Amino acid sequence: MTPRQRQRAIRATLYVALLAAVLAVVLFADWASIQRNFFRLEIASEMFPEVLTRFAVNTLVYTLAAFVFGLALALVLALMRLSPVGPYRWIATAYVEFFRSVPALVTILLVNFGVPLAFGRRVPGGLFGIAAVGLGMVGAAYMAETIRAGIEAVPRGQMEAARSLGMRPSQAMFSIILPQAFRIIIPPLTNEFVLLIKDTSLLFVVGTTPLTRELTKLGRDTMQSMGNATPMVVAAFIYLVITLPLTFLVRRLEKRGARGR
Amino acid sequence: MKLNRLIALLAVLTLVLAACGGGDGEATDTTDGAEPDTTETNGDGGAAADFETISEGVLTVCTDAPYPPMEYEDPDNPGEYTGFDIELMRAIATNLGLELAVVNVGFDPITSGLAMESGDCDIAAASITITPERAENIAFTDGYFSGDQSLLVLVDSGIGALEDLAGQSLAVQTGTTGEIYAQENAPEDTEIVSFENPGDLFLALESSQVQGVLQDLVPNQDYANNNESAAVVATYPTDEEYGFAAKKEGSEALIEAVNAQLAALREDGTYDSIYEQFFPMGG
Repeated sequence: MTPRQRQRAIRATLYVALLAAVLAVVLFADWASIQRNFFRLEIASEMFPEVLTRFAVNTLVYTLAAFVFGLALALVLALMRLSPVGPYRWIATAYVEFFRSVPALVTILLVNFGVPLAFGRRVPGGLFGIAAVGLGMVGAAYMAETIRAGIEAVPRGQMEAARSLGMRPSQAMFSIILPQAFRIIIPPLTNEFVLLIKDTSLLFVVGTTPLTRELTKLGRDTMQSMGNATPMVVAAFIYLVITLPLTFLVRRLEKRGARGR
Repeated sequence: MKLNRLIALLAVLTLVLAACGGGDGEATDTTDGAEPDTTETNGDGGAAADFETISEGVLTVCTDAPYPPMEYEDPDNPGEYTGFDIELMRAIATNLGLELAVVNVGFDPITSGLAMESGDCDIAAASITITPERAENIAFTDGYFSGDQSLLVLVDSGIGALEDLAGQSLAVQTGTTGEIYAQENAPEDTEIVSFENPGDLFLALESSQVQGVLQDLVPNQDYANNNESAAVVATYPTDEEYGFAAKKEGSEALIEAVNAQLAALREDGTYDSIYEQFFPMGG
């Protein structure tokens, strides 16, 4: 058989295998049961508009809180990592390693229950505060690395040129290096934002009220009260609606960033 | 060409698969214990034949632990569970000629019936209060325990009753009758915070996230007995009873067998001795 014929044969086999798999799924699945348990329109429609006007908003608010707190902390950590002062470097490194290794769920529990038991004071702001601090601390660990990499990716010539112009190192950092670094790291930061959106689903564990719930908790609670899994599908769908545009944005930003250089 | 023939063979196989597969996409609302003779289960042995269990010769029980003294990990037997619910279930299983296996699945999968429907267990023992709403999704046995609601607070808090929690926070467990009681009876401006895990209720109280815990008397009293920091300050009698639960459809034989055992165990004093074991002051 010629190479070309073999290629065609292989391709045909792949198509047939795919067809077999699709047919198997289509024929073995109990579609009536799937529709009954996961796609009941009347249950789904009952969830609107609150699921969008309140609970999706809650999810976004918690994400923003975590992102803003985390980004501020990450900036500090990144600068500490690059600091000439030894202990600052070590502390920042320890922080990053710890909060990247420990599951986000554990961090949230520690912030909510551990901090008050250890220090006698609660993080203010209720669930919003726990999202900001708990999730923010986790996000900061990842974003610190991203920011550090971004700073180091700025050509060294920039710092040298700035210094030779008579700028102090801090001036150079804040007016020359950091702005360029941020352009580089916007795609990975947007990625981190998307990850934080999903991590807000962990916040239920520190206790919620009917109004402060985010999407996943709402989905689960409604699943219980309806005895049906449709609310979970609705919640998943709304997560998609929120994150897909962001991931497209990330790809556009990456392309534009690459062009800009 | 040999390969063309191979492709043709694959295509034929696919069609055959499709033809055979068409008949198998059945709904899974099957009945396990479909055997018609669901009557007497008299004490030892032989009764297991009246209903099927997920695992042969074993009664698999779902629970939501830790919830002392009803269900919790046995400190003397790591990995095993004990507690009033579990030991009562063990006695029932033994009389039915079955061994006991316990799975900790959490409360919501139990009250929604998902745990039993999906085959995680045959029956659930988790201090489940019998309510008409729940009875729509799961099948209950007869009641085996009376429950009251209660309020647990820190001893130096100055709180004596639910009314004192105006403007404060109250912890409840998600999906429980305690949550419903709180929603109906707590002051308007009390923030009711729902936790999934019963153990977190006490953590929330100790860390001052909330100022009170509203749940069944049994676990609250157990916590107060073991912790000097907290005390039960109020009890709210209800007509609530706990029942064991199985999946809605197809568990009639199992429910009947368990009901018969519950009656038998009360008669022969086993129920009382298990009760004494976990509620020594008759509380």
